[in-house]
Amino acid sequence: MKKLGVILAVIVITIIAGVAASLSASPSETVNLDMGRTHGTISTAMGSPVLGDPLAPITIVEFGDYQCHQCYNWFHNTKPAIFQEYIETGKANLVFVDLAFLGRDSPKAAQATYCAEDQEMYWEYHNILYTSQESKIDSGWANTERLKAFAFNMGLDMELFDSCLDSGKYSKRVQYNTQQARVHGVSGTPGFFIVGPDGQEQLGGAQPFSVFKQILDTMI
Amino acid sequence: MPSAIKTVYSNSKYLLLSIVIFSIMLVGLLIISEYIFLEPYVVSHIPSGTEFGFVLIVTISALSALVLPMNIFRINILKKSKQKMGGGIFGSIIGAAAGACSCGPIGFAVISTFGSVGATATAFLTNYEIPIRIIAIGILAITYFTTVKSLKIECKIDQTS
Repeated sequence: MKKLGVILAVIVITIIAGVAASLSASPSETVNLDMGRTHGTISTAMGSPVLGDPLAPITIVEFGDYQCHQCYNWFHNTKPAIFQEYIETGKANLVFVDLAFLGRDSPKAAQATYCAEDQEMYWEYHNILYTSQESKIDSGWANTERLKAFAFNMGLDMELFDSCLDSGKYSKRVQYNTQQARVHGVSGTPGFFIVGPDGQEQLGGAQPFSVFKQILDTMI
Repeated sequence: MPSAIKTVYSNSKYLLLSIVIFSIMLVGLLIISEYIFLEPYVVSHIPSGTEFGFVLIVTISALSALVLPMNIFRINILKKSKQKMGGGIFGSIIGAAAGACSCGPIGFAVISTFGSVGATATAFLTNYEIPIRIIAIGILAITYFTTVKSLKIECKIDQTS
């Protein structure tokens, strides 16, 4: 009887210790993903957090590379109008999925955005990358040191960010996203799927706002 | 207008060839460089910050349309060497290739097919797109002046003989 009590006590202590350890784990070691998240036929589980109202009837899924100058053009010339007219008003939301193929710094830049997401700063970091993009691919503007400098300037916890980026924690996540792009026939960046209540439409390239407006208005 | 141009383009065949070359190069390069989209609607735009690239594409197309028919004229009518034709074609091709490899479908296909070698080539053509196009314009301009000079001499010789 005494023996049984000891065994039970050991089991209870082990369980409590396990729960305590999992609760006290650093944020860099936890990944908060909704593995079942899809938009239309696309699995966006490993993509960005949703920008805008998650319950909006339309979702714009953007496949992009942080070193792509056409993505830069879209970010600066088309996205602001879409944000103002459709995302801010709750008519649509946006999810960014990485298609990191242009250079050796592209996957690392994509991973860095998820390290920023660990500290709830995904979109702020995403915006900094597209604001800081330089015209030359792999020129060093998005190398590991610069990615850490962007995080430092944003006031992120550098211990967490550095360990996240250096460990390659999100390397598989970026690979999964790139694979999603290939599976769905995205053959360049930026590539878009506009997913509405009645279906989805694919768009290729940094198309002007007028094209997005035409499609979005027919879906609302 | 130099008399050499008058001589070549007074022949409607060469004028038509020039218009065809200009149209195909201009529309092709504008599609590749994402100034024109065909799907889901035909739409054209010049994003802010890309105006200079647009001007270079128009210049390359115009110079190619000017130089190539003049060299074909030299070869067909005057039965001269094909040497200067090479300069025109070379200038046109490198001018076109500069913008073709970027984040678009061509760059994606090149990188997917050739891996890191393709990525390096694509990065080079993207990084140096503007300088490469300026060099292409230089080659086409030199080819134009040497062709005009040759035509003046060759036509004179042909008229006197």
